[in-house]
Amino acid sequence: MKSFLKLKSLSCISNNCRQHSFLTKNVIQPKAKLPITQNVSSRFLFWERDRKGGYDTSQKISLSEHLKEGYKEIKGEFKLLGQEIKALIETDPLLVARPGETDLIWCFNKPSVLEKFITTSDSDHNEGYSTSKLEMSSAGRALFHGNLDVRVPKDGRIKKAGYAAMRSQRIRKSFKREATYDWHIYNTLVIKVRGDGRSYLLNISCEGYYDITWNDIYHYVLYTRGGPYWQIAKIPFSKFVLGSKGRLQDKQNRMRFDKVTHFGITCGDKIPGRFNLEIEYIGLEFDPTHDEEFAYEMYKTDRYIVGV
Amino acid sequence: MAARILRTFLTVKPSNSIIKRFESNKKSVSVYDPFRNKPQKNKEAYLEAIKIFESQDKRRRGHVEFIYAALARMKEFGVHKDLEAYKALVDVLPKGRFIPTNIFQAEFMHYPKQQQCAVDLLEQMEDNAVMPDSEMEQMLLNIFGRRGIPVRKFWRMMYWMPKFKYLSPWLLPDKLPDDTLELAKMAIQRITSVDPDIILDIWQTEEITASIDKTWIVSAQSRAQKVLLAEQPLDEPLVVKGPYNVYMRDQVVTYFTLIGKTRPEPTDDRDIDDVSNISKPTGIPGFIGSTKLPSVKCTVHEQDDGTIVSVCATGTSSRDSLLSWIRLLEKYDNPLLSEIPVIFTLTAPPSDIAIQETQPATTEEANKEGT
Repeated sequence: MKSFLKLKSLSCISNNCRQHSFLTKNVIQPKAKLPITQNVSSRFLFWERDRKGGYDTSQKISLSEHLKEGYKEIKGEFKLLGQEIKALIETDPLLVARPGETDLIWCFNKPSVLEKFITTSDSDHNEGYSTSKLEMSSAGRALFHGNLDVRVPKDGRIKKAGYAAMRSQRIRKSFKREATYDWHIYNTLVIKVRGDGRSYLLNISCEGYYDITWNDIYHYVLYTRGGPYWQIAKIPFSKFVLGSKGRLQDKQNRMRFDKVTHFGITCGDKIPGRFNLEIEYIGLEFDPTHDEEFAYEMYKTDRYIVGV
Repeated sequence: MAARILRTFLTVKPSNSIIKRFESNKKSVSVYDPFRNKPQKNKEAYLEAIKIFESQDKRRRGHVEFIYAALARMKEFGVHKDLEAYKALVDVLPKGRFIPTNIFQAEFMHYPKQQQCAVDLLEQMEDNAVMPDSEMEQMLLNIFGRRGIPVRKFWRMMYWMPKFKYLSPWLLPDKLPDDTLELAKMAIQRITSVDPDIILDIWQTEEITASIDKTWIVSAQSRAQKVLLAEQPLDEPLVVKGPYNVYMRDQVVTYFTLIGKTRPEPTDDRDIDDVSNISKPTGIPGFIGSTKLPSVKCTVHEQDDGTIVSVCATGTSSRDSLLSWIRLLEKYDNPLLSEIPVIFTLTAPPSDIAIQETQPATTEEANKEGT
């Protein structure tokens, strides 16, 4: 046990803290299989290695196991394919959203809806001490709760800590083909919550094909009143600002409504303590009175000043 | 082989390349720490320490290290939200020296340590929600020139920060009151702002002779809630629920709710197709909103998990103070409370959660896999 820990800490140093060239890393340091070693690559100049930015937690399994697992899922996948073909033949998509009516994407009234979401916090990657959970509340709604901790782990690498997030899983078609939400007939996000007075961050990811778009997330703040009363927040999509890896971008643009991949809520307001956010539903609405395309200025600035 | 060479080039890290733009943000060791031996940790002492540093050495050697050391100690001196202190720190940097004179200097981050230091300073301002002003812009322009990265950072901040500063629908003053009663009043006002008819009462528990805890109670009840309370069935008990937390920026206020039963759903057996005798609408419809959404009751206080009859915060959040609250509610226009049973479902206050100080140890299973 003790020797293992020592080995782990040693390899931590060699993997993360010291800078090796790519070659020596490959030849001399075969990657040891370690359970929760944080292995986020340093900043590369030209490309992203993977979509998770080094935080990939998926486990590698052997081919035979893969086949075995996949065989079990065939039935369900064919069922999905059948539904897709049926929808294709029917050709009855929603063309117009009725103004003033909210179409729900997620109504958190049963536990199966909660399973479409994943929670993450910095303690999952050994980068902090926050915890988070998404559970059914006593009122029969989704309760996103946990403890936000802004203490920074003393590993000499991390500068800031303290976030907890929930995010919807990637929408997909049959046979694990990735799909996107098509929200182009709507222009407003509607969310009914009961919070605790903190402000939360709403995230709409629009991952694209190329690696520079993998971290494109549109953000907006959700202010909660706190207290026992529900509140309905209606936020036009035009207000959402583009950020990448949490940094607001100089060159802003409107989100692609037909390429939405994830929706998420983050708690990271630098206030340590417990947080509670009860969510009843998340929906979309078409508001005909709101004709703003994008709320932020798009004028051209001097060359070599913006986006450098 | 060619692919490997190409890969080596493509994965080249900033440390291997010429451009060392953002690598220099690893804090250097501070050699001289004038902040250590200050008897009083306040703004005056902080500014004085900066002044001492400025006057000590004409060339101001080690000013980057000094600024980093000063930034780290801002909270200790209570100046982390003070624009003047940040300005004083920026003023330490020499003017004119770091302005690039040709395009190569401008492009390849002239004086990278100093620029990164100023960027870190601005970032700390951003984290503490301190908005810079135009004087700061002038200072940064004089130090780094138009092409300097800190200046661009400043422009970004001045674009985004005013946009979000007053965005909250429940704005709080810059400085929250130190008095807990004032804070509780603000909090209760905020959480009951759904009903404009709400009336806030501040009572002292001394009014109830049997009370043990002598403290204040901030109670909120609207006229609608009084009616809803008066209509509660006598055989069903009311429930005091709590404690719940509401955050007023970084201050936490604990509140409690008195919850009754929700009125039964209105049933309508009339034949709506029968037009022979149309009565006048009664005025208060049973439901608002479309039937696709979860239905909303006609008063905001009636929610699906009960009717909120009143909300309060007390000075001690103790059981006894809540008992006094019920008695005071009874005294002030809620006579039904003398007949109806009230249940206290108070969980023990959420005491400090055990949080491990060190990194969580690896689980046994993970160990087995690893070894």
